[in-house]
Amino acid sequence: MSNFTIPVGPLNVALEEPMYFKVDVHGETVANVDIHAGHVHRGIEYLVTKRNVFQNLVLTERICSLCSNSHPQAYAMAIEQIAGLTVPPRAEYMRVIADEIKRVASHLFNVGVLAHLVGFESLFMHVMEVREMMQDVKESMFGNRMDLGAHVIGGVRFNIDDENIAYLKAQLDRIAPAVAEITHLYRTNGSILGRTRGIGVLSHADAVDCSVVGPVARASGINYDVRVKAPYAAYDRLEVPVHTLSDGDVWSRAIVRLSEVTTAVDILRQCLDNLPAGPTSCTTERPSIPVGEAIGKCEAPRGELIYYVRMTDSPRPERVKWRVPSFMNWDALRIMMKDAKIADIAIIVNSIDPCISCTER
Amino acid sequence: MSILPDNIEARLAAVAPSGIQFNTTENKKGVCCSWCKLANKDDLLSSAALLKSIGARLSTITILQPKAPSAPPPKEGETPVAPTNFGGTASDGKTFEIDYHFDVDGDTLTLVVYVPYGGDVQSLTTLFRCADWPERELMELYSVIVRGHPDPRRLFIDPNIDNAVLERLVPFSTLVNSATTKGLWEKILANKGSPS
Repeated sequence: MSNFTIPVGPLNVALEEPMYFKVDVHGETVANVDIHAGHVHRGIEYLVTKRNVFQNLVLTERICSLCSNSHPQAYAMAIEQIAGLTVPPRAEYMRVIADEIKRVASHLFNVGVLAHLVGFESLFMHVMEVREMMQDVKESMFGNRMDLGAHVIGGVRFNIDDENIAYLKAQLDRIAPAVAEITHLYRTNGSILGRTRGIGVLSHADAVDCSVVGPVARASGINYDVRVKAPYAAYDRLEVPVHTLSDGDVWSRAIVRLSEVTTAVDILRQCLDNLPAGPTSCTTERPSIPVGEAIGKCEAPRGELIYYVRMTDSPRPERVKWRVPSFMNWDALRIMMKDAKIADIAIIVNSIDPCISCTER
Repeated sequence: MSILPDNIEARLAAVAPSGIQFNTTENKKGVCCSWCKLANKDDLLSSAALLKSIGARLSTITILQPKAPSAPPPKEGETPVAPTNFGGTASDGKTFEIDYHFDVDGDTLTLVVYVPYGGDVQSLTTLFRCADWPERELMELYSVIVRGHPDPRRLFIDPNIDNAVLERLVPFSTLVNSATTKGLWEKILANKGSPS
């Protein structure tokens, strides 16, 4: 058998965003992978230092689409810590609601694309149809299908009334049985199992070594979820089970995501049942932001998102640095793809739920 | 309740003989955030090794050039004192500050080192495999040198672009490839008048 180096990407039908993999193959088997990044680098880390604290809330939401809600949330948490602002209880619950709505839509999207890559198009369309119910929720409650614009410094920008609550509850009642059905399919269907079990394995030791986060880490047996380990918003008052599996293959990562969708629906119901009354923001004025530095961390759909903000005497931050969950997970692909078949490359790449605009900023 | 060991400050002080400045804050939900400034950047590796031994995970690395503090003009006959960072590096707007953010099971501990302009810092890749990408990124953003990095190629920025992009002013029109909106141009003309 001969050795070749084949390019996968930067533009490839199986990749939603541009990333360039240089894959050394021995026959049909992957020997080594080299990752070339930077195709959607936009210099946003530079741009945030040219805009003021409040403008950046809008800018950070536009870094990524699927986890767009997590960026302003972690950024606002860091600013609130610098300014010593306390988010009112109702706003904390509302932040969880926005967060979990995005998580349901994000996870279902990834799991749906997996079905597409397996070649199970009817399942792909079915999952996207279920996801569409959550897209309807976003559009009805926030006015947008992707960027919710939910956050302000010190609280949230939206409010929900009894009509919204009844509508969201009704949508959850439609989504929950559909997700249970989808989960059963992913657990039992031969086409799915044949292409995902034992594929792209990341052992627990390798997962620790690569410091992967989110569902990728939890599917390799790492029990870490920011919502539980470093609670923020209202998560300290909610029941948040952490789902872990031990096999670390493509299938485990999909099942962890599906389990988290079920949990997210449950968390949304907990929020709607216990939603406290009161203001949705701690201040109606724009708060003044003193000199200081802080770290904000939250669990984005793909894992731990960390923001570091440094304020000096200027209204513009001196430095904002964020690290998205995908950034940590790329390196693990080199282990997952080792000795994989060429045909499985796209499925393995998709299994880390890669977000490239997030990674490159 | 803090997850960090109670004696972490003493243990860090023991492995960083040049001195540390340690402080920790706990938020209302009991999540701790600690900052540990190292007087000498060469104590970084031993401090990071200690954190690894207590199970810390390197979360990310921030690099910046903090601007010099604005000082009142010196009085008659006094020589102005140049401001310095902890450890004695000049606080002149050129010195690099590198913050290594570690996660210890939910708590955050940040090791801070100051590197004089043109200086270097030891790579953490020998201890943390995941330091690879963050260090490649900080090398392309600033002119700091990372010693012992196994793969010091550019990460995101094309090799054709000059090094240390965050050390110089990049005009907005260059940044966005001159693709600015007509609206912005009309606003400028309305404020400043037509060039003719």
